[in-house]
Amino acid sequence: MNSSIIKKELIKKGAEAYLYYGKWFDKEVIFKHRIPKKYRLKELDERIRVFRTINEAKALIKVKEYGINVPKVYEIDSKNAFIIMDFIPGKKLKDLVPILDDSKLIKYFQNIGQFIARLHINGEIHGDITTSNVIITEQEEIFLIDFGLHEFSERIEDKSVDLHLFKRVLMSSHGDTYKSCFNAFLQGYKVIYEKKSKKECDAIIKNIEVIESRGRYIKKSERL
Amino acid sequence: MINDIYLPEKGGIHPVMVKEQHLNNFKETIERALIEANISLEDVSLIAFSQSPGLGPVLKIGALVARLLSQSLEIPIVAVNHCIAHIEIGRLLCNIQDPLTLYVSGGNTIVSAFESGAYQIFGETLDLAIGNMLDSFAREAEISHPGGPKIEKLAQKASHYISLPYVVKGMDLSFSGLFTAAKRVLKSKKFDEKYTLNDLAYSLQETSFAMLTEVTERALAHTEKKEVLLTGGVAANKRLQEMISYISEEHAARFEVVPAKYAGDNGAMIAWTGILRYKSKGSNNIKETIIKPKERMDKILIPWRN
Repeated sequence: MNSSIIKKELIKKGAEAYLYYGKWFDKEVIFKHRIPKKYRLKELDERIRVFRTINEAKALIKVKEYGINVPKVYEIDSKNAFIIMDFIPGKKLKDLVPILDDSKLIKYFQNIGQFIARLHINGEIHGDITTSNVIITEQEEIFLIDFGLHEFSERIEDKSVDLHLFKRVLMSSHGDTYKSCFNAFLQGYKVIYEKKSKKECDAIIKNIEVIESRGRYIKKSERL
Repeated sequence: MINDIYLPEKGGIHPVMVKEQHLNNFKETIERALIEANISLEDVSLIAFSQSPGLGPVLKIGALVARLLSQSLEIPIVAVNHCIAHIEIGRLLCNIQDPLTLYVSGGNTIVSAFESGAYQIFGETLDLAIGNMLDSFAREAEISHPGGPKIEKLAQKASHYISLPYVVKGMDLSFSGLFTAAKRVLKSKKFDEKYTLNDLAYSLQETSFAMLTEVTERALAHTEKKEVLLTGGVAANKRLQEMISYISEEHAARFEVVPAKYAGDNGAMIAWTGILRYKSKGSNNIKETIIKPKERMDKILIPWRN
């Protein structure tokens, strides 16, 4: 690597990737390395890591167009499953939920709902909306990160699944506050999505319950 | 423990047929269980039954028989959730306290852990259960029942990996695209020239189990649990055990597989969970014994763990 590019320290070991803090010329950056998973066949593992690296980089570049705050991408090395992107100083929403007061939380969740609606209107599915994948900066800006599972889809089902995943993360990780947070999120989502189509927006939200009732004994008519 | 399991002559499970089978066999099953336990019906002091989730007509038979026994013997009755029972019998037999559980069977694919008073669901399938997917594939390939163990055997003789769809959404999974793709390969012209059934069975296992392992690892990193429990009928698969064991070790978590006899569906797990519930919160009244085919385990508070 060029001497103006310095990988300094490992700052997070995630389940999928290791994040290193460093410098890219004069910029503070994150090196995101999708690490090989030894439990998977090598061939399958490489396919997944390369795909997700390219997928994430593309998504980060694309969704900026829709006015959503995401880290800027500086470089990618798909073969080695590396992305170099902006370092966003701030806190994970996950750590803020237990300490912020209600009115502030509601505001954040409404804003996140608006962001996700803007993505969905444009057929962009985040694929992994969690409170760990939202960063709040000191200036109270909201950043979405981790687009590795992102996909393009106009299907109501895929948009509903995106919302369902977020609902379940809130439920399983933030117990008591989940209802008010998720309601605020939906409120924000509706404000934006209904500008495109109220009918479609209602269908997406209604379908969340259908998804929840699945996952076990699928009705005969729904079976393959 | 006495089991009388419904095996379809051909095709998948038909709710009405299972209901008939339950209705025709409950008496003999109870009699055989009493003989094996070497007790009489009068020695039974508590009745537990599976209230949720499942096929309505089938759950109904169990509930009817349980109510009948409870009233005629004048003993208390307790309603139990089937998925929670899988976790509880695993905690008991593996002597494990607070695990992240991967529960994989013909009807369920769930990653769960105890948080804020309930067994929260961190990940689950969005369409087919893993066991259902493997069995359906076995039927397509004309592999006789039970499909899962036979696929495992075939996979051991494979030499090539065939690329198949890998679909993980957050901590959720989707197996229907994988199933369709595997079926398409199987039915393709020249299948026999290009591949063997061994290769396809291997690829199906490797792909689907890697998906299960990935979401389990994500949930493990997220919950920071120090124990991992593998249960359900598919838990008997050695390759899946190997993969889950690997990630458990990486996260310094203790890994346990529920013994096969108690990992598949069984009455002992319902009875044991019934005892836990009875000791902490007493019995249910008859009105509370109505079946709930669609009830999610994360909606049920667990009084014995608070």
